[in-house]
Amino acid sequence: MESKSFTTGNRDNPNTDLHGSKNMMASHFLRALFRIQQTSTSSSSFAGRSRRIRRAAYASMAYSAGARRAWSRALLRKLRSRARLRFPRRLSRTARPQRRDMDQAQVLRKLVPGGPSMDYCKLLEETADYIRCLTTQVRLMQTVMDSISSYAHHPMIP
Amino acid sequence: MQHGSREVRGGMAASALHDDHGPQQIQNPGLHDDFFDQMLSGLPSAWPDLGNPKSPWDASAAQKLFRIDLAGKPPDESQPEAATEGLRYASYDEATMLASRLSQSQGSGGSSPTGEAMMLQLNNHHILPAVGLSRTAVGGGVGESGLLPLPLTLGSCGAADPRIIVETPRDEMDPPFESPDHNGGEELYNGLGGSIRAAQPGTGQHFHHPQNYGGAAAPAGVGQGPAASASSGGGTPPQKQKVRARRGQATDPHSIAERLRRERIAERMKALQELVPNGNKTDKASMLDEIIDYVKFLQLQVKVLSMSRLGGAAAVAPLVADVSTEGPGGRAGANGAAAGGNNDSLRATEHRVAKMMEEDMGSAMQYLQGKGLCLMPISLASAISSAACRPSAGGLVPAPPAPPTSAAAAAAESPAASSSASALTVQSAAADATAPKR
Repeated sequence: MESKSFTTGNRDNPNTDLHGSKNMMASHFLRALFRIQQTSTSSSSFAGRSRRIRRAAYASMAYSAGARRAWSRALLRKLRSRARLRFPRRLSRTARPQRRDMDQAQVLRKLVPGGPSMDYCKLLEETADYIRCLTTQVRLMQTVMDSISSYAHHPMIP
Repeated sequence: MQHGSREVRGGMAASALHDDHGPQQIQNPGLHDDFFDQMLSGLPSAWPDLGNPKSPWDASAAQKLFRIDLAGKPPDESQPEAATEGLRYASYDEATMLASRLSQSQGSGGSSPTGEAMMLQLNNHHILPAVGLSRTAVGGGVGESGLLPLPLTLGSCGAADPRIIVETPRDEMDPPFESPDHNGGEELYNGLGGSIRAAQPGTGQHFHHPQNYGGAAAPAGVGQGPAASASSGGGTPPQKQKVRARRGQATDPHSIAERLRRERIAERMKALQELVPNGNKTDKASMLDEIIDYVKFLQLQVKVLSMSRLGGAAAVAPLVADVSTEGPGGRAGANGAAAGGNNDSLRATEHRVAKMMEEDMGSAMQYLQGKGLCLMPISLASAISSAACRPSAGGLVPAPPAPPTSAAAAAAESPAASSSASALTVQSAAADATAPKR
């Protein structure tokens, strides 16, 4: 994991434009989760299911942002092409510490969907929106997770 | 350059037109009026070559600026005083140079008509009206070749030539050429106590605006100028070089576009700084590092959460009620069930679902789905809607006692449920009881 520690949710994001899309994100994600649950059997691989869930997470992010954003458009394109979602989460970054990332913009471009085709200014803008959406999605997932766990630990009392 | 001088000359011409003084002799710097007149009278000459179409001056602008009726009335009396103030800060050197120019141009014998024409051609980069403009114009405008080595930045010609600003308090005269910034000019003028900026279209003219000049040449300085005319002649070229672009104030479109771009990037970085924790780095490179790390972290979190969720995935029978959230403007999913339908039909549906739930959860779910509804634990519904509004470190805020949605209420009313959550645990109980802790 990262040597630094971030806590999502410790910052009051101005969810100005996310408020409506947040609900859409939630509904989309939950429906996707349900579908995954229904279609997965005990024989499904753990990795396969986790991939599907992850894909569903990004899909709901992209749908919530719609076509307004370059990154969401790129993400939707990637999802629709059924390519495997790949994100450069190279832990090898620590193994290969560049003195100061030669081109940080390049690294950022790889992280943000649709990055390579943006100029620097637009890249920063898209990154900000992408971060907002990511934090919302992460919080959503955490929320669902918590409610599920709590139910599991509070079985019904007949 | 020429424009600036033109402006100055315009001003001067205006006065000159009406003050028929002989060869200028500035004997009394103290007598502003006299000085002004004298300066103006010296005007002549260079006017003809000021036919630069680049900065045609509006007659109206000129009028406004100089408060000179085109018919040729003399400037207000108030102007000289004001001008004096403004000019007070000018350096004597500059004044000298200007004065010398004046004397030079004097030789060519400016004609009134020319002067008037010049006035008409006043740059629409508005020179500060009234305040010492005419004065400064006088001081500044003398250059024959059109270049006024103006330490006197003619008052606030807003946009005309931001470069020339003497220690402008505002770095960007952003629309420098196109949209004269009157207010800025005014401020500048006031702030600097009269520093005047020569309005000059950015033709590469560089004015020397050392801070010590502070503004327009003092009348006194200018007054001395003519006396030292000799030195001024040779000083013209060096004076040109002294005036150079102010920090960040571009003279050509490229630098301006560059500056705009940089500002936009700075804005974006600021927005990112607020989003990213530890975003208080001032260093741009480290800020980018933080951003990159944070994005990676978030993506990693999504991955981890998708893995850890699998144990509890089986328990995700409840889904967000989603009656009308297909479109982008989806309302709260939890309220979706209540939305649209009238209460009666909803209640009937709820009863039906409750009954079905007793028999077979799955079919109940499917029935709901067919209707576009889903069951959802109340706590989940409220947590989701409040999660983003009240972020907590752990993610889930203990569900506040929010009014349950009808869908959730259906579960609550179901005989199997003592609490809404419990009803749904019927299903989850069937699944793995132990969800992995997050």
